[in-house]
Amino acid sequence: MIQVNDLSFSYTKSPFISGMNFSVSEGEIFGFLGPSGAGKSTLQKILIGMLRTYQGSAMVNGVECKKRTKHFYENIGVDFEFSTMYEKLTARENLQFFSSLYEKKPRPIDELLERVGLEQDADKRVADYSKGMKSRLNFIKALLHDPLLLCLDEPTSGLDPTNSHMMKNMILEEKAKGKTILLTTHNMQDATELCDRVAFIVGGKICALDSPHNLIMSKGAATVTYTWFENGEHSASCPLGRVSSDEQLKGLIAENRLQSIHSSEPTLNDIFMDVTGRTLV
Amino acid sequence: MKAIRFSFFQMVVTMGRDMMLFMACLAPILAGFFFRFAIPVLETVLTQSFHIPAVISPYYKLIDIFFAMLSSTMFCFVSAMVALEESDEKTAVYLFITPLRKTGYLSARFGVPAVIAFLVTLVLLPAFKLTPLSPAAIFLFAAGGTLQGMIVALLVLTVSSNRLEGMAVTKLSTLTVFGAVVPFFIKDKVQYGVFLLPSFWIGKAACENGLFYMLPAFALSVMWISFLLKRYMCKM
Repeated sequence: MIQVNDLSFSYTKSPFISGMNFSVSEGEIFGFLGPSGAGKSTLQKILIGMLRTYQGSAMVNGVECKKRTKHFYENIGVDFEFSTMYEKLTARENLQFFSSLYEKKPRPIDELLERVGLEQDADKRVADYSKGMKSRLNFIKALLHDPLLLCLDEPTSGLDPTNSHMMKNMILEEKAKGKTILLTTHNMQDATELCDRVAFIVGGKICALDSPHNLIMSKGAATVTYTWFENGEHSASCPLGRVSSDEQLKGLIAENRLQSIHSSEPTLNDIFMDVTGRTLV
Repeated sequence: MKAIRFSFFQMVVTMGRDMMLFMACLAPILAGFFFRFAIPVLETVLTQSFHIPAVISPYYKLIDIFFAMLSSTMFCFVSAMVALEESDEKTAVYLFITPLRKTGYLSARFGVPAVIAFLVTLVLLPAFKLTPLSPAAIFLFAAGGTLQGMIVALLVLTVSSNRLEGMAVTKLSTLTVFGAVVPFFIKDKVQYGVFLLPSFWIGKAACENGLFYMLPAFALSVMWISFLLKRYMCKM
């Protein structure tokens, strides 16, 4: 679906994105992770044909992005982080207008509104919507024309846990239908739950690219930390894979003297900090 | 074409819901009635009051070309206001990544309204003109007025970043229309000081009954529009 080769781009004389290579298969959820200003949004803009002065190649659905035609957009749905709705129009009027721009038969508007819990507010002006409602409306706008590629920028931003969960389920449903999804996010939890593969982007370069599981495993096994009381509280740790050879732990278990025991698995955030030396702010 | 058509209808809906924009579209008709019926009466009153043969009538041609530019400028101003609102609400950015794309957006917001403004001027100018104008003159003045309207709209869009600024910039950018006044009042070569304004050449064509003066007006308009369009595209 997406093939990027030796991609470079610059807003000024110094390169902003350089030597980027990756591919995304059909039906895959691919995450772009990185701090602000890393180049994630620029990369997304290149892939949706908004920035065309790049070097190298960026092919989406067999079309070089800089040579896109209007048919290119029939199969791309974009959910920006900010609202892109007519504030004076109702949700239904907005969706009707945007769906009218495509040649494809749109998905039923009422069904989509109901899916994100906005059916009661369909005839309310968007100006009167809360941030979360606008996010949900923005999301279904990207689905209206049933695109093959979905580009989602922080789709769960501003949502409460229930709506965030609902949104993630909808994203997974789209994947199950064979849609390719590009997810740009700061949220490591979302990336771990949703993405088949993620790319860490820092300074316009891909620092690591793999599945969240493989990236987490690459840091090494989880550790087990336990505490016991013996003239005061003590604690010790050992790798999860070596618990059976930790004589102290075995003795404490046998004597039933453990006060607490827990494992701590590395998170994608730990891996990100390890790889890039930065946090996702 | 489908996307351009629906996007244009969307603009019409926005105009219909905004009283200021709706009135701006009606302004040429109201102004037409005033120019056609109130000004001759005013001229009679003034000439009788001051006991002179003419006060306003020597400038009837100027009023006619102002009217040609007014109707186009009003339509283009409305388009510019809608485009600025779309820029504020970021809907314009979204429209660029639909089958409409930037070119379709520009057609829907400036191309189609300009064509309509031209056609409306072709209808209104003969109805409200104060001087005898040949069909060729009507056609050329309507075309010149339309290009002038596009220049005003693009100036507003290029210079301002929101609707409020847009209103302020509109007042300034409509000053470019006043180039038409110069040939009527300044007869020596000093008048060429404003030669870069297409409206100056439209005024000269009307003042000197020389339609060939419309050629530099069109050429300059095309240059202004290309320059402003490039700036606008970069801004977006």
